[in-house]
Amino acid sequence: MDSGGLSFSNLTTKFETTMLRPTPEKTKTPSVPFKYRLVKAIDVAGLNFLTPVVRLCFGEEPRKQLKDIGLYIVIPILAMIFGVCGWFVVSEMVVTKSGKLPNPSETLAAAGSIWDFHVRENDKLSAFELTGAQRDARMAAVESRLKELEPLEEEINKEVTEEGKRAEERTQQRTAALEKKYDEVKKELDSAAEEREKALKAKSESIDKSDVDAKKAYIADVRKHRKALDVAKERLRDLKGRIKTLKDLKDDKLAAVLRKQTQIAEERQYLGKMKDQLTKTNRDLKVAGAKKKLDADLAAFYDAEPSKMYLAASKFVKGESRIEKLKSSEYAKPSTLPFQIKRSLLCVFVGFFIGTAIAIPLGIMCGLSKTVMAAMTPIVALFKPVSPIVWLPVCLIICSAMIPDPDKHFFTQWMWNLPILGKYQINPAFLASACTVALCSLWATMTNTALGVASVDEDHINVARVLRLGFWDRLFKIVLPSALPLVFAGLRISLGVGWMVLIAAELLSSSEGIGKYVWDQFNNGGSRSFANMVVVVFVVGIIGLILDRMMVVFQRLVSFDESPTAV
Amino acid sequence: MKDDNKYVEIFNLVKAYPNPYGDPIRVVDGFELNIRKGEIISIIGHSGCGKSTVLTMVAGLNEISHGSIAVDSREISGPGPDRAVVFQSPCLLPWMTAFNNVMLGVKKVYPHGTEQQRREICEYYLSAVGLGNSMDKFPGEMSGGMQQRVGIARAIALKPKMLLLDEPFGRLDSLTRMELQDVVLEILDREKVTTMVITHDVDEAIYMSDRVCMMTSGPNSKVGKLLSLPFGRPRKRAEVLEHPAYYELRGSLVQFLEDESHDSPADEVKESEEAVA
Repeated sequence: MDSGGLSFSNLTTKFETTMLRPTPEKTKTPSVPFKYRLVKAIDVAGLNFLTPVVRLCFGEEPRKQLKDIGLYIVIPILAMIFGVCGWFVVSEMVVTKSGKLPNPSETLAAAGSIWDFHVRENDKLSAFELTGAQRDARMAAVESRLKELEPLEEEINKEVTEEGKRAEERTQQRTAALEKKYDEVKKELDSAAEEREKALKAKSESIDKSDVDAKKAYIADVRKHRKALDVAKERLRDLKGRIKTLKDLKDDKLAAVLRKQTQIAEERQYLGKMKDQLTKTNRDLKVAGAKKKLDADLAAFYDAEPSKMYLAASKFVKGESRIEKLKSSEYAKPSTLPFQIKRSLLCVFVGFFIGTAIAIPLGIMCGLSKTVMAAMTPIVALFKPVSPIVWLPVCLIICSAMIPDPDKHFFTQWMWNLPILGKYQINPAFLASACTVALCSLWATMTNTALGVASVDEDHINVARVLRLGFWDRLFKIVLPSALPLVFAGLRISLGVGWMVLIAAELLSSSEGIGKYVWDQFNNGGSRSFANMVVVVFVVGIIGLILDRMMVVFQRLVSFDESPTAV
Repeated sequence: MKDDNKYVEIFNLVKAYPNPYGDPIRVVDGFELNIRKGEIISIIGHSGCGKSTVLTMVAGLNEISHGSIAVDSREISGPGPDRAVVFQSPCLLPWMTAFNNVMLGVKKVYPHGTEQQRREICEYYLSAVGLGNSMDKFPGEMSGGMQQRVGIARAIALKPKMLLLDEPFGRLDSLTRMELQDVVLEILDREKVTTMVITHDVDEAIYMSDRVCMMTSGPNSKVGKLLSLPFGRPRKRAEVLEHPAYYELRGSLVQFLEDESHDSPADEVKESEEAVA
């Protein structure tokens, strides 16, 4: 307003004369010691349980630090150990049609085999694409490994037969006593029954024809006899049941050997497939074979009689196009869990960004204007409680309608040809899942943004009024920075909600991802699928935890009560 | 037609708040004051008498119910950087460094200056308040006194026609307060900005200002008495304290305040005024 009144030349002269006056404020702050910078970094990263360890390393109040370590590190670890033990116990008790609830070690083994599957599939993919000397080297390695496996396999097979026999013997030993007892009891009961029957038959002859009471008593006797027979049957059945449980008892040694056998068989199968990938089905070799055939076709065409020229030529042309197809062919790698995890993460972030892009501007508008707030409140209240299960079909229909044929649609084609995103094959199911995530997660960000914007400190608003800041300056210099901590608190909630929603959405939409993996495992009912599902429980939990911690760090970095540049 | 004796003209100023059970409560009623160009005037009164209300009305942050305020022969409407305010709490933006806090206003006031010129202005005023070495600190890393220094630098860097200080040292300890009084006086001596200081500290009023305006207790408070001080500028604390008239002036001020507190109004009215202000 008053800027016209000031001339810069005046200021500069004043500046020269007065700038150099001594400043009473203390000079240079001493640099912060490494220890405190480390503690602060740990604090910002939200890993506060490490703080006592750091302080202890620097020898600060050892007793207090040890107490803190006990409280924040040892006790959680103990609780985890307790939990794992409890899991072992519970898993023995929960027996279902699809098998026993996997215990921790089985779950760990399942995780290992999921990882092995991933590594092997990647190997197969690379083997498919290998050419020349590299392929030969790989082939040699595969063959030498196969040779190594041969004796191992024989050995293990022998071991399995032997162990099987031994296991049978062991079972017999275990059950021998009971079986003997069964035989004895059976004999005893049978003879008793026979005697009773004989006695009853003898009695029938002594009964007078018109003696009704005697006849009634006879019926009672027969009833008693039948009852005794039932009791005997029950007793025998019980004994048999006990023998059966003893026989069914899992033989740990045999199981261990069998597991080893399966492992070796799996590796052999993998190596066999690798061999194919390096020879028969190898892309380069297939192309070379086709080329040879093409050359022959060409020669045949040149030699052909005029009457057969057309046929020979078309054979040659067909061969040409076949080579082109072969050159661009890919190994159809099945989805592995790591790939599905990556795709799920991509999906949740796409949804999260769509949601954020809608929620933050709307939230700002709601916070700034009471009119917009009044307009939006019923809409928010109406849609906020809608379940992802309801949103998903709606989104799926809309996305599929927009991209009716993903193999031909320009958008999906464009996406599939992108360098990094391409391999995730973004399709309508993916987009529908992402939109569901967005629709379910945007509310937290929106309400928090609105709250943050609406509750800017009155003093800061006054500063803006005195300076007559324009709308954009006011927004970007005053309102948004002060709302940022709350916005990030909202984003954190949104991402957590989004991650939970996504798994359900993928499960329903069959969009390749963690949710689909669970669904596939549920449906295929293999011996390992139960353990695989339990592995996924932990995978989902750990990823959710990491996402949350990430947002906590962002939130702390934008909170101005902690000065952001200090770390 | 400019009159340096009436550089700031406050005429029949009224602030009324609606009262659902009666007539509107007139917190300030008929406040009239003329301020000379370059003059420092203190407004003193009991807490709740409407001092801050007057200041916020001059700043344009509070609507005027009746009357008018003219600065440099122009009637004010709304807040603006020509009337810079130093609030009781520093009100710095905590996500900006001290330098950027000052720069925010400087950018607004010198839109045609180069980046280098603006930077020099900010650095100049920050060193003037003694923060030459702390320009890149965030408010969270500074003490209350340092924050208030930034607040003063931010206000003065606007080159305002009028500087409004709303109990600027009220939240500081007495040593820091004295230090900052000197900092402000030194800058004001150099810049000659017309200044209005709200205070409830009698010594501060006498030490800092050319005239003291005593307000009657509210509601319906107005100017009770105006007192011209005979001290020259630049001021030295010791000289002021040893001046023969010092105790007489101080006595008359304290006397006025004591007289006012005898017929002070009901407490709830004070409270309601404070809450709104």
